[in-house]
Amino acid sequence: MALKRKIAYIDLSTGDIETKVIPLEIRKKFLGGRGLDAYLLYNHTKKGCDPIGPDNTLMVSGGFLCATCASATARTHVMAKSPLTGLLGSCNMGGFFAPEMAWAGFNHLVIKGKAKHPVYLYIHNGEIEIRDARDVWGKSVTDAQWAIRDDLGDQEVKSMVCGPAGENLVAFANVMTGIKNAGGRTGMGCVMGSKNLKAVAARGTMDIDIAHPVEALEFNKKFIEHITSAKVSQTQGTLGTPFIWGATNSWGGIRCRNFQYNQCEYADDMEPERIDEICEETMGPYHMTGCFACQVHCRAQYKIPSGPYAGKYEEGPEYTSQGAFGGETDTPRALTVLVGNHLVDQYGMDNLDTGSIISWAMELYELGIIDKKQTDGLDLSWGNDDAVIEMIDRICYRKGWLGDTLAKGGIQASKIIGKNSFDYLIQVKGMSNLHSDERATPGLALNIALSSRGSDHLRSRPAIDLYHLPEDVLRKIYGSPVPYDGPLSSEHTEYIGKPWQVFWQENCYMAVDCLGICKYHTTFLGATLPNFDDWPKVLYYNTGIEMTPKDIWDVAERCNNMERLFNLREGLKRDDPEKGDVLNHRYHDEPTRRGAPEVVGRVIEKDKFLKMRAEIYQHKGWDENGIPTPETLKRLGIDNEPSHML
Amino acid sequence: MEQEKKVGATVESLRATRTYGKFRCHNPTCMERLEPKKGQKTIKCPTCGMEFRVAWVKDGFPRIRGPVWEVNRKVAEDAFEMKMKAKEAKGKEALKENKEGK
Repeated sequence: MALKRKIAYIDLSTGDIETKVIPLEIRKKFLGGRGLDAYLLYNHTKKGCDPIGPDNTLMVSGGFLCATCASATARTHVMAKSPLTGLLGSCNMGGFFAPEMAWAGFNHLVIKGKAKHPVYLYIHNGEIEIRDARDVWGKSVTDAQWAIRDDLGDQEVKSMVCGPAGENLVAFANVMTGIKNAGGRTGMGCVMGSKNLKAVAARGTMDIDIAHPVEALEFNKKFIEHITSAKVSQTQGTLGTPFIWGATNSWGGIRCRNFQYNQCEYADDMEPERIDEICEETMGPYHMTGCFACQVHCRAQYKIPSGPYAGKYEEGPEYTSQGAFGGETDTPRALTVLVGNHLVDQYGMDNLDTGSIISWAMELYELGIIDKKQTDGLDLSWGNDDAVIEMIDRICYRKGWLGDTLAKGGIQASKIIGKNSFDYLIQVKGMSNLHSDERATPGLALNIALSSRGSDHLRSRPAIDLYHLPEDVLRKIYGSPVPYDGPLSSEHTEYIGKPWQVFWQENCYMAVDCLGICKYHTTFLGATLPNFDDWPKVLYYNTGIEMTPKDIWDVAERCNNMERLFNLREGLKRDDPEKGDVLNHRYHDEPTRRGAPEVVGRVIEKDKFLKMRAEIYQHKGWDENGIPTPETLKRLGIDNEPSHML
Repeated sequence: MEQEKKVGATVESLRATRTYGKFRCHNPTCMERLEPKKGQKTIKCPTCGMEFRVAWVKDGFPRIRGPVWEVNRKVAEDAFEMKMKAKEAKGKEALKENKEGK
């Protein structure tokens, strides 16, 4: 059963491999996935190590419920020190890899050292082998996976790989599986490349051994009904995640021209229905697909309809690619979005960081901070579709001065470019913001400022804050499993009550990341989707472990604090513009100009923002500098870390 | 098990509030419930004045495709101008009070 799945320690420098059972005590404290990875990272990574040196440690895991009878438990998590931020590196992806690794007997891998030449790991029914990958090196994300299947003579092998961007040490290179399942953000593909690790491949046929199989299946039926009956899931199953971008752009919550506007006007050609038409024209009416054990099927399939890449098969685009290659660069055309999406997927490069850093360069070009000398003649004017596509290629292969500079990530690039370029870089803790504009939503602004891996919407975003839900509904959601009787507000422009919402969401998202459940199956986009109240049964029926909603909350809080401890150890300081819990000054100084009447003219008021930050520190049991107090660490049982229990 | 009675409590009660055939205005401060007629292509929010293009996920399941750009752009421009004027007036008032030593 899930409890029997092991952890393996692999040293790529020496070739040593050791496997262990994961003790029950550890499972109860950290569950698995991202949470247990955070514990392992803190315990196995040397303080101050070079993120692309052999001392950095790469964790690969599946969620605790992965490959059981629980719905939507496909998530793979990868963690290491980030080459992009120098702080926590962490990414999470769907697909089919983590279940396959679980069926092969493993939930966690701890990968150290650096191989002498390109290698890949092959995990097969309790065995792990280090294999030569010299023939796979240099291949695209998709081609690499097929080459590994050919090498092993098994078409059912599932792999997570780094693409050419990872091999070229692009600081925001992804880990990828399938066509487009992307472990994006913080450059975990770069860490793989630095270790000469092209891929981890898995094939497993071991027993899944469910603790209470009949009850698990019965309960899962109910769970599936919850998920599929939600309107948000039905919309996603029809249009994919582009509907999120469309809705957000409609009211003015999207970055356009880097950070000049909060809405991309006349974006009809890249609206979800238009993209859906292209998918239907090129792939037929049944063009939606999904990850392991998911009923939502939010992933579209398409072929590029025209131009130099015509006929190329791809999946997506996600709302993030619409933002990256349509909105931020002010190129609101479906073809640019579809081609850009295809390239970053095949190169294994983070779409959000790529789009964001290109749009930053475009603004610098407009301001004269860089010119054609730095761009090698490329016209980086807003709206230049060809330049956007060209820059994606230049960054991946580090071509030209600008391609090589941007490949280092925003903060390093701003140091090289100089002048006041840093002022225009929209980032938190060194990671580019996604495509959203949070100036009209203080709760969402607080979320990105405090997110453990840098500016990020998937770590604590109270997205339902935009639904104007009545206070009693908010209280129902946010008042459990830990009672809360402080203020809550239905108004998205308000500051009161938001710190608690962000704190609650942070624990909710950590819990699903430990369990291995997709965020579209919890309180993220839909207020009616399962959360803490619903998980104990899934956990008990599948694994036999009894936990209350509060127990799961405590696990999440513990794991979030482990991540904080790592960040503090690696240099996070509260007010540091490069590594702190702060926003770019433009959030406070430049009012929004577009969108709904209550959205225009908004900034994040700095004094109120600082009050929110102080309040959330209190909720978390941190001192005024954002450092967990000794009492908090003791309460969570992590006051003696690193404890080296695993 | 101990959690038997509580499981699903929050989500199940919230599910009962779902409505079909309607959507909410995309203005997050307004969120008026709008109900387009079958096949209707645009709809104007009677509360905030924003206007949207309508798409149909399936029969009986409408959604907002996007704004009617000209209309909503004007709404935004007017709101921005009004807010900036109000801000300017507030600034002048504060300056005057400062000079008068209030």
